[in-house]
Amino acid sequence: MNKNQTLDSSFRDPSGFLFTRQGILYRQVNRAYAENYARLMESGLYAKLVKAGLLIPHTEVSIEPPAPELAFKVICPERVPFISYPYEWSFGELKDAALATLSIQKRALKAGMSLKDASAYNIQFYQGRPTLIDSLSFEVYQEGEPWVAYRQFCQHFLSPLALMAYRDVRLSQLLRVYIDGIPLDLASSLLPGRTRYKLGLATHLHLHARAQRRYADVSLAEARGGRKMSQQALLGLLESLQTTIRALEWKPAGTEWADYYGATNYTDAAFEHKKNLVGDWLSTIQPKIAWDLGANTGVFSRQAASRGTFTLAFDIDPAAVEQNYRQVKTEKLTNLLPLVLDLTNPSPAIGWHNRERESLVERGPADVVLALALIHHLAIANNVPLERLARFLSDLGEWLIVEWIPKSDSQVQKLLRSRLDIFPGYTQEVFEETFKPYFEIQKVSAIRDSDRSVYLMKRK
Amino acid sequence: MLWLVGALFSVLTNRTAYYLDPGSGSFLIQLLIAAIAGAGIVIASQWSRIRRLFGKKKNQPSEAEDEDDEQKPDA
Repeated sequence: MNKNQTLDSSFRDPSGFLFTRQGILYRQVNRAYAENYARLMESGLYAKLVKAGLLIPHTEVSIEPPAPELAFKVICPERVPFISYPYEWSFGELKDAALATLSIQKRALKAGMSLKDASAYNIQFYQGRPTLIDSLSFEVYQEGEPWVAYRQFCQHFLSPLALMAYRDVRLSQLLRVYIDGIPLDLASSLLPGRTRYKLGLATHLHLHARAQRRYADVSLAEARGGRKMSQQALLGLLESLQTTIRALEWKPAGTEWADYYGATNYTDAAFEHKKNLVGDWLSTIQPKIAWDLGANTGVFSRQAASRGTFTLAFDIDPAAVEQNYRQVKTEKLTNLLPLVLDLTNPSPAIGWHNRERESLVERGPADVVLALALIHHLAIANNVPLERLARFLSDLGEWLIVEWIPKSDSQVQKLLRSRLDIFPGYTQEVFEETFKPYFEIQKVSAIRDSDRSVYLMKRK
Repeated sequence: MLWLVGALFSVLTNRTAYYLDPGSGSFLIQLLIAAIAGAGIVIASQWSRIRRLFGKKKNQPSEAEDEDDEQKPDA
């Protein structure tokens, strides 16, 4: 039994649970869920959703289940290369995840099923698309029943999207605090008054929040009073949610890096040289997973992705991540995932027992970490000593491609303009000496037409 | 494991037992919205039928179909 590792992310649903055995991910389907599982597979819903890229494919396997007294089947789902969380998604990613959830629910209804939960954590970006990874989210639809996951859908998707669109895009970070979605009363009080005149938000959010408050102490049966909801009405609800979500827009503009590439002191030749160096090294080490830290709109992430590496493009700026995501969609890239991340405060482990959602570091290590035009932001703008930087980067991946930017560089000068230069140790020699205990420096190359250098390092 | 047995029992004995609390207010508000939105769909579908009666043939691709919510890049 101890060779099974039950995952801490799936314990609420009595339908089954995830576990790993010898590094392979499985899901036990419990007998309590047998009828629903059979309907999912036999109604053709599973095949349709998988074909549309909306549900993770799985195979049924005949291995000993970890809890045989409850087990109906064991399935082996295809593994998502990186589990990301809604507070790491850009506006467009969260919006697409919301629309995917509604699309799945509409298709489920046609097959006589309904989603029993609508958690944003059940959606993952798989092959470039938002995909439901919880195959046990469906239940047989009962005529007359409302959508049991409506409240969860509004909290996980509608609340954050409305706040991002109408108040501030950074409010997606509230999802880090509220693991079951942003409470509707909180969203309602934070949203500007004009959202009360938008039909969708007025009803699904503001009125919904008021109804929750008013009926907080009323039992479900009492509130419902025997009322039924026809399938037609349920479809109407879904259409209305779809219209409301589609109408929410956010334009990535006027933020930190909007014109970063244009404003750097790189010449075209330097930029090309850097691109070629990074590309060549990536071709040599052939990583499966790359983490590009401070990726901006993903120019260098594409060097990895175009070589078949599954690449995460992290950036602190939601606008850069959004632009990158839109580009990924246009280019139909399936192995590049842009994510919002503040490296000085990376995603922590959250939820029950601090184990439900993993921290960034726990989701590593990557095969290669790209830290290009990054370390001056951490070492100078954020006062992170080089030694701590080396330690952190060595925790994240096996290989490191890192760019050294000297003090003479105009970008560094810009950072120092408004503050005291307390960084006497910020020199290339000290940088190399500090990284050596953690990494073996395999290659160094000065970037043409600039004072900068790139390094290829391997973790010791 | 007790909670699992409890949940199993409640699922087997009561078809309208939800494993997530759907919330009383949430249930009520969705009944209200759905009633209106559902009626909207009926009217919309009747409307196109009326138009067709008067000989106005208009291709309305995938209105009731779900092709329109196929995932596609809309950037």
